[in-house]
Amino acid sequence: MSFPTAVEAQLERRRRKWRPVLWLLALAGVAGLFLAVLLLIRVLQSGTPYHEGEEAHFRHGSIGAEPASGIPYKVWMALPELYPAAFEPEGDYRAFGFLYDEGSDLPIGISRRTVAGVDLVWFNCGVCHTGTVRETPQAEPRTISGMPAHQLDLHGFTRFVLDAAVDPRMAPDPLRAAMRDSGHGLGPVEGLIWKVAVFPRLREGMIDRAARLGPLFERQPPWGPGRVDTFNPYKVLAFGEDARALSEDEVVGAADFPSIFLQGPREGMQLHWDGNNPSLAERNLSAALGAGVTPETADHAAIERMARWLEDLPPPESPHRPNPAAVDRGRSIYMEGCADCHGYQGEEGYVFEGDRLGTVEPLGSVGTDPARLKSYTEAFREAQLRELFAGTPYAFRHFVKTDGYANAPLDGLWLRAPYLHNGSVPTLQDLLLPPEQRPVTFRRGGDVIDPKGGFVSETCSAGSGCFDTRLPGNSNAGHLWGTGLGEAQKSDLLSYLLTF
Amino acid sequence: MTTDADTDPIFRPLAFRNLTVPNRIFRSNISGRFDNEDGSLTQTRINWECRFARGGVGAIISSYVPVRMDGRIIAGYATIHRDDFIPAWARLGEAVHANGAKFIMQLSHSGRQMDIPGVHNMHRPAPSPTSAPETLHGFLTQAMSTGEVRRMVRDFARAAWRAREAGLDGVELHAANGYLFTQFLSSAINDRTDAYGGSLRNRARFLLEVIAAIRDTVGRDFHLQVKLSATDHNNVLPWEGRGNTVADTVQVARWCETMGADALHISTGSLFPHPLNPPGDLPLDVLAITYDAMISSGVNGFRNYLLFRYPTLRPIFRWLWFRMKKGRPVEGVGFDEARIIREAVGIPVISTGGWQDAGAVREALGHVDGVSIARSLVANPDLPRHWAEGRDLPPEPCTYCNKCLVGAPKLPMGCHELSRFPSREAMIDRLMEVYDTKPELRIPEAS
Repeated sequence: MSFPTAVEAQLERRRRKWRPVLWLLALAGVAGLFLAVLLLIRVLQSGTPYHEGEEAHFRHGSIGAEPASGIPYKVWMALPELYPAAFEPEGDYRAFGFLYDEGSDLPIGISRRTVAGVDLVWFNCGVCHTGTVRETPQAEPRTISGMPAHQLDLHGFTRFVLDAAVDPRMAPDPLRAAMRDSGHGLGPVEGLIWKVAVFPRLREGMIDRAARLGPLFERQPPWGPGRVDTFNPYKVLAFGEDARALSEDEVVGAADFPSIFLQGPREGMQLHWDGNNPSLAERNLSAALGAGVTPETADHAAIERMARWLEDLPPPESPHRPNPAAVDRGRSIYMEGCADCHGYQGEEGYVFEGDRLGTVEPLGSVGTDPARLKSYTEAFREAQLRELFAGTPYAFRHFVKTDGYANAPLDGLWLRAPYLHNGSVPTLQDLLLPPEQRPVTFRRGGDVIDPKGGFVSETCSAGSGCFDTRLPGNSNAGHLWGTGLGEAQKSDLLSYLLTF
Repeated sequence: MTTDADTDPIFRPLAFRNLTVPNRIFRSNISGRFDNEDGSLTQTRINWECRFARGGVGAIISSYVPVRMDGRIIAGYATIHRDDFIPAWARLGEAVHANGAKFIMQLSHSGRQMDIPGVHNMHRPAPSPTSAPETLHGFLTQAMSTGEVRRMVRDFARAAWRAREAGLDGVELHAANGYLFTQFLSSAINDRTDAYGGSLRNRARFLLEVIAAIRDTVGRDFHLQVKLSATDHNNVLPWEGRGNTVADTVQVARWCETMGADALHISTGSLFPHPLNPPGDLPLDVLAITYDAMISSGVNGFRNYLLFRYPTLRPIFRWLWFRMKKGRPVEGVGFDEARIIREAVGIPVISTGGWQDAGAVREALGHVDGVSIARSLVANPDLPRHWAEGRDLPPEPCTYCNKCLVGAPKLPMGCHELSRFPSREAMIDRLMEVYDTKPELRIPEAS
């Protein structure tokens, strides 16, 4: 081939000489592009596993709490390695009362979602509403979806996370080593992504949360197992209020996890302990926010799927087998004095009927501890309506400030101990006692069925789960209905209540 | 007011061994693409040179005149490679003499510095002491064999003979500014391993052999001067070697004197243009519209064009070019080095580099023997008359914008600094003056 100029010939020689290199570079470029796309897909990957069964979805399906509140799965799995003392004796999250399904590495109520390529885990509904029961101390625990997570020490777990935020072991190097030791090490590319994006954000997020919640916890007694302060953490985390500025009246608000069986018939009733909202949908979303969901991250489809399942989820049949004659007599007493407010247990299941069922009983009438009622303030309600889901079909419209506690249906009553909204009375039998005779202290968190209605709980003076009714928010006063009955009548009434 | 020619050093005659020039002002070599593709000169070139002769310079050093067709820097410059060109050069000499000036032909060969190769050279690399491409533009080269070097020596001598036959007043060997002689002389360019490479003496061998050959051919009584770059400053691209120092050039100058050179003409830089030669600005925006004529001349042409064409890239080239100018004057940029060389030799030395102010020139003439000027005379061909009339500067002095320089590959040679003219039309009229020919058109003989 001839060229018109020496320069063109030289350029062609140079092109020919470099052509293999250019091809290699082009191939390397294509390979690099391919890897970059893979990396991008990995980084931008988002999604959450789909669980076929409704109960599996309830226990492990994500409702959208992970993006804003979650921690990386690998960190979750490494924490027992990093803080062995906090996870004794089992060496896993059972130390805080979390429950495990057979073969699952994550506890019930901990869901998983990939956000920008990082697997995150955090709470779903199942964490607070799944518990265990045993008929005898030797029996294997039976896990029941929908019952209160009476064994879960959410306060203790949160306290642990907040302490870890400022602990040197949460620095990237020890954490990375713990992740490797727990079998969840990082690959080279993943390590780079974590170094740049995950470790700094994780620590910053934890420190930020600790800075907000720490002052609140300093002003509250520990919630104890099976209890949560629903609204005060919400105030400081979602609305940015300073915990130190909360009034004395509102700053303590811990109450029991409720059971969530048979939600369908509850539509229109005053829901929540204080009956502040008659809309199941709004109550569900509000509860999801409490689990760490934000208006931006809420997985409405997943939440609604759970809600549909819960509409018809019946409580398991009571294992108590009281004397049928006593049950009959007790039914009569109940129908006369209790059913109007609480509905009743019929032959075919629970009957959600009663003139005052699902309405708010004024505090002056019910007489129970006011702390939970006061923790839900008018200012908080206004913030909820103003800021949460505003401008969307999910905007809150039905929240109200009430003056008492709601008359709740008692379905699945055998699983709902300790009793009253704040879980201050260990058994049904104790509830029929005048407040001054009710146990002053008792240990929460047990799951062995007590013939007195509830779970076996001895009195205590200190230690894990020891509940002191003398502390703020823990009063066992009020709900005097039935306390004036004779012993025989109380026994009959208890027999009937044990069938709920 | 006029100056006294007897006392003004500018206007005192300069007597070389074989030539006396009426004053100390030399029109330095500068040209446009005035001539024919075959190398024959035209009326336009005669007009061009006479413009300066009329202006009062003592001598005109011709534009770069190749001694062979493979040594053209820009096709379109007249050559002296054929005997039958002697009459035309003789006419040019007569014309310049008629206007009172002397005419010295600058004998040259581009070597690798071939800006626009033209139809004769586009198909081949340029002969050079090295086969390494020129670094800035990527001009291609082919190292000359020892035999080819000897033939080149002979061709220079033959060209000098033609100049003498044409009645011209002398010759200058263009051994400066990056052309073939520089390529031999420079330690940064010459990579030969034969008798023409290595030590300074070896690198100077080609130049000294040419001087000797010219003397053998034209005798001892024909004016021969040598233009040298005092310092190479070859590292315009920072990764290049610096090349020869002024001490090297002092030695070369002494050898030239010994071999029979009558005078030295001192410039600077191992390539052309160079940041220090010609001194002043480098209008990259004008290069953006003229360098395209050189894109295909070298393997780096397109890269350079991009650097000029896109304003965002210009700072790269601007940094390369202007970093060397820091702390150096425009006027008399090479004066100190010329003075050093003058002190080392016994023959006259002419200094070039931005001269325009009579005061500065008078002061310089206390240390060197003459000054050569190109751009300031392009702007004001009658600059000597302004000086003679007592003005240090003409009313519209050269701005050193260098638009004439960067326009050379594509635009008519002349001053393109619009601010010096009342209008664009006036500027173009001035540019066109040299083309104002009255040719005696001839009808070709019928075959």
